[in-house]
Amino acid sequence: MNVREVPQDITYYEGKKRACYALNDEGKYVIVTSSGWEVEAVVNGLAVDEMAAALEATRQAVLAGAKSPLCYHMERRQMTPEILGKTARLAAFRVKRHLRPDVFAGLSPSVLDRYARALAVSREELKTVPQT
Amino acid sequence: MTTEVTAAGKPFVHVHSAHCESGVTASLFRDKGVEISEPMIFGIGSGIFFGHLPFVKMAGVTISTFRSQPGAVFRKAAKRLGGKFKTARFRNPKKGMDELRRVLATGQIVGLTTNIYWLSYFPNRFRFQFNGHNVVVLHEIENGFRVSDPMLEQPVDCSAEDLERARFARGPLEPRGFMYYPQSVNSSPDLRAASLKGMKDTCNMMLKIPVPIFGIRGMRYLAKKIVRSPEKLGFMGACRELSSVVRMQEEVGTGGAGFRYMYAAFLQEAAELFASEELARLSGEMTAIGDIWREFAVVSARIIKQRGQAEETFEKAGGLMLVCAGREEQLFKDLAQAVGKLKA
Repeated sequence: MNVREVPQDITYYEGKKRACYALNDEGKYVIVTSSGWEVEAVVNGLAVDEMAAALEATRQAVLAGAKSPLCYHMERRQMTPEILGKTARLAAFRVKRHLRPDVFAGLSPSVLDRYARALAVSREELKTVPQT
Repeated sequence: MTTEVTAAGKPFVHVHSAHCESGVTASLFRDKGVEISEPMIFGIGSGIFFGHLPFVKMAGVTISTFRSQPGAVFRKAAKRLGGKFKTARFRNPKKGMDELRRVLATGQIVGLTTNIYWLSYFPNRFRFQFNGHNVVVLHEIENGFRVSDPMLEQPVDCSAEDLERARFARGPLEPRGFMYYPQSVNSSPDLRAASLKGMKDTCNMMLKIPVPIFGIRGMRYLAKKIVRSPEKLGFMGACRELSSVVRMQEEVGTGGAGFRYMYAAFLQEAAELFASEELARLSGEMTAIGDIWREFAVVSARIIKQRGQAEETFEKAGGLMLVCAGREEQLFKDLAQAVGKLKA
């Protein structure tokens, strides 16, 4: 890749730039910054969009009363019950149970605090999901 | 390139790097007065690799990798360059943070392994739960730390809370607060001997691992799998798998074309070191292979973007990968021969 071929199509890194190795005119490798590549936007976009769609579906499910808000906050942090369980120091099967709204409603403040700390949200936030 | 001052009052030159681990290792060596570039560390530490792990799933897709396992570049490069490093892991996050502060207070900069999701200075769309990102901490500031992240152009501030979460994140490949810093470094390391070791190791990893998911064989295996994937997984499933391959190839921490350009840069430096025309030729060949990897990424992105109405097909993407496999096989065979002839 020549230094002039280093992708600058889009600004994909929110103003930040990434280092690429490319050949200059003398055929030497140098570091050139890249502002973003269309290809990366497509492949990364697929993953980001799917996560966003899944999160939105979960939010609706919480509002409909099918899942507990914990499920939303867990997915927002891209965690699974196993990871969240380890972070909050709870067994994964308990985390899975707490994804049910009826079980979640009966949780003690101490358990809620563990989740709040693990997910970096306040206890009040943990009990709700954004309305929009 | 920007200059910062460490707690010891020494200037620290932040160099924008393509890959976190080789960038951090190079920074730690440079801080000790050893002038060494990122590609050299990458080559000496045998960073280039290929592997496809069909049985490990992260967020629902299998994992492919274009580099050796996290931590290996640092470990191998340190050993081959004759650097003694102090490494530590912690069970207790508080102890881990205290130890970090203690070492920083002595004026030593420290390398850390972190979870990229909790590093809030990154653009949001790159924050995935991935426990293998490396950064250098320069010194403590109020409520946080000054961090030289090799992926960014400039050093940044990171809050103590974020850093603690990032260091002690749970999940696959837990960093458990892994920190490392040099205790003593050979100030004039034998770069030639180290490069030879690195290249030999790389050739073995790419050509001789007797498991068909690593090295050149892994590439062929994955290429065939990609061609079959639309029938097996459906179109969307196949796109997801394909996008995860390209993401590993191009995303944060990879430096474009799955590290092939960085390895070409290493071969170029090695060619000068040995005054070897053969290595210079191989560097050019590696660049050409990198270009094909990039084309593979472009074709893959078109498939994903146009959702099946495109002229580009999974056969074409898989075919390009087979071309890469063939040419890399030849390259590493030639490299193994060339290394045999060179003397340290």
